[in-house]
Amino acid sequence: MSTVAHTTTSATPTGSKSKVLYGYIAEFETPGAVMAAAERVKAEGYERWDVCTPFPVHGMDKAMGVKRTILPVVIFGGGMTGTIAATLLQIFTNSTGLHIPIPIPITGYPFLISGKPLMSIPAFIPVMFELTVLFAALTAVFGMFIMNGLPRLSHPLFGSDRFRRVTNDRFFVVIEARDARFLPGKTEAFLKSLNPLSVEAVEE
Amino acid sequence: MSHAHSGAELKLGKHNIELGGPAASLQMAMSVLFAVGIGGAVAMLSTGNVESEFFWKSYLQNVIFVIAISLGGLFFVFVQHLTRAGWSVAVRRPAEILAANLRWIWVLFLPIAYLYFAKGQGAQIWPWADMATMRSHAPAEADLVQKKLGFFSQFGLFNGDFFWIRTVAYFVIWGALAHFFYSGSLKLGASGDANITRRMQLVAAPAAILFALSATFAAFDWMMSISPAWFSTMFGVYFFCGCCTVGFAALILTCVMIQSTGAMKGVITEEHYQDLGKLLFAFGMVFWAYIGFSQYMLIWYANLPEETGWFIARQIGDWVWVSVFLLAGHFIIPFLAFISKWPKRMPMVLAAGAAWMLFVGWIDLYWLIHPEVPVGLGAVKRYAELETAFPEHTKTHLLQPTNWLLLAGMVGLYGMMTIRELRRAPLVCVKDPRVGESLGFENM
Repeated sequence: MSTVAHTTTSATPTGSKSKVLYGYIAEFETPGAVMAAAERVKAEGYERWDVCTPFPVHGMDKAMGVKRTILPVVIFGGGMTGTIAATLLQIFTNSTGLHIPIPIPITGYPFLISGKPLMSIPAFIPVMFELTVLFAALTAVFGMFIMNGLPRLSHPLFGSDRFRRVTNDRFFVVIEARDARFLPGKTEAFLKSLNPLSVEAVEE
Repeated sequence: MSHAHSGAELKLGKHNIELGGPAASLQMAMSVLFAVGIGGAVAMLSTGNVESEFFWKSYLQNVIFVIAISLGGLFFVFVQHLTRAGWSVAVRRPAEILAANLRWIWVLFLPIAYLYFAKGQGAQIWPWADMATMRSHAPAEADLVQKKLGFFSQFGLFNGDFFWIRTVAYFVIWGALAHFFYSGSLKLGASGDANITRRMQLVAAPAAILFALSATFAAFDWMMSISPAWFSTMFGVYFFCGCCTVGFAALILTCVMIQSTGAMKGVITEEHYQDLGKLLFAFGMVFWAYIGFSQYMLIWYANLPEETGWFIARQIGDWVWVSVFLLAGHFIIPFLAFISKWPKRMPMVLAAGAAWMLFVGWIDLYWLIHPEVPVGLGAVKRYAELETAFPEHTKTHLLQPTNWLLLAGMVGLYGMMTIRELRRAPLVCVKDPRVGESLGFENM
């Protein structure tokens, strides 16, 4: 541990009019220290909080008690949508002479190729496979974006100079002010009890 | 490499990396299985309860089954060195021992060599071994095969002899590679000399090339040439995929077996099982379906008479159900069962899946080796008339006991030899430079 004294400073971007508290960040020097802190924060019952580190820390998910994401289920749904869409599309275009007048008039075009049946599943499988992968991949990317609230241009934490070292050699615990258990003085005191290098209030 | 847990010394303690008492009785049970299986199968043959042609094809199928397990193990081992993998050190020794079986497994080809050379009846498995009979039976196919064989005879190599020279070459290559990686790992475990690791990493790349070529040509020689007029360039990859299926499945089962005796506690964790499960999932289920379908679709679409016959032989009568069983059992059902993370992290669930994949891998070999392409397919004008035109081709004989006795015999022999080696060597390469990384491995 470093000998830096506990300090509480306020990082207020110059020229900013808003003074709404976003939350507190506590700075740590090692993955082990931030891991131990995360376990304490979880035990305290906070829900709207996060840990920011320069690299993935093994075991952090468990220490934070992060719930499993539902993204795989959503991706599975996306993939199956792709399979079904490809099947219907090919059956309609290759195997039926169906005419659909709206919104644009389209007609299926049954065409006999080398004596194969009009509805030849083996020939459809490559397209079914590709669309499944495409839909699943797009669902994964955009589902992740939506669940993470991305894209966003800025984040309150970027207002803190101290926080910049999160991409280099510092580890942070962030407790947001919108947490039900958040009380400015109490949460700050709690974070200080975790033996951080510093605790800082971050404003929106 | 710096993730070594403080308990590493404890986990790698002598008693924890030794296969103890319970394995001895399992080894005994395996040797009984071996004796009963082979004895039963030979009795079936000598009492005339099984056609000799079926017996020899079944024998080839079951020998290739255990060879495929070893090849899967060999592939696993050199890929770990090739990629300088740290996670796999804890499970590499069992794979090395599976691969090391390649040092003696050539013995199983001796009865086939005896059939071929001493009895002159190689045609019971490979029709090209007796061109005169093949010509009288299937003249068009015989012409085609004669032209192919002519390519080799111009180098002064008699065709059948060259086949056996290649077969010896495969066993030499595999045996040498397996021995190199296994003995190197044993030395590394004793000395911790990082130069051994470097040398194995260096050899892994040419080993991959040699392995790919030898496994491909072995598949062509031993299995594709059973229908000598037929060809598929994808066949070698298909066999490689089968090797991975049964090899990784056997590796998982070996690890679970070792841990069920109480050894390797805390060495192989659910993290390693999850990764082994991923490999089995990727190669045994997804890649198999991908390769199998690619092969099927090209032939189905091109619709060339000399190519489609091979699939027609697998779609007549009862063979349809074997094909459908493979599609469902080798791909769809295990794919859905093991797509999630949790079944891969539960050793017993994963072991059940691995046992299943071993079984369907065996059925896959049955499907590759046993069906015969009917002669005179051109005379049949309608698909629906195939069954009445070739009634003898509609039966699978899958339940013929000889096949199962041979399976029991080969699994017994293979299990016996594997456990014997597992009991002799430390179960982990304890001084591997990456052993700490492997013990502390987490998937996130």
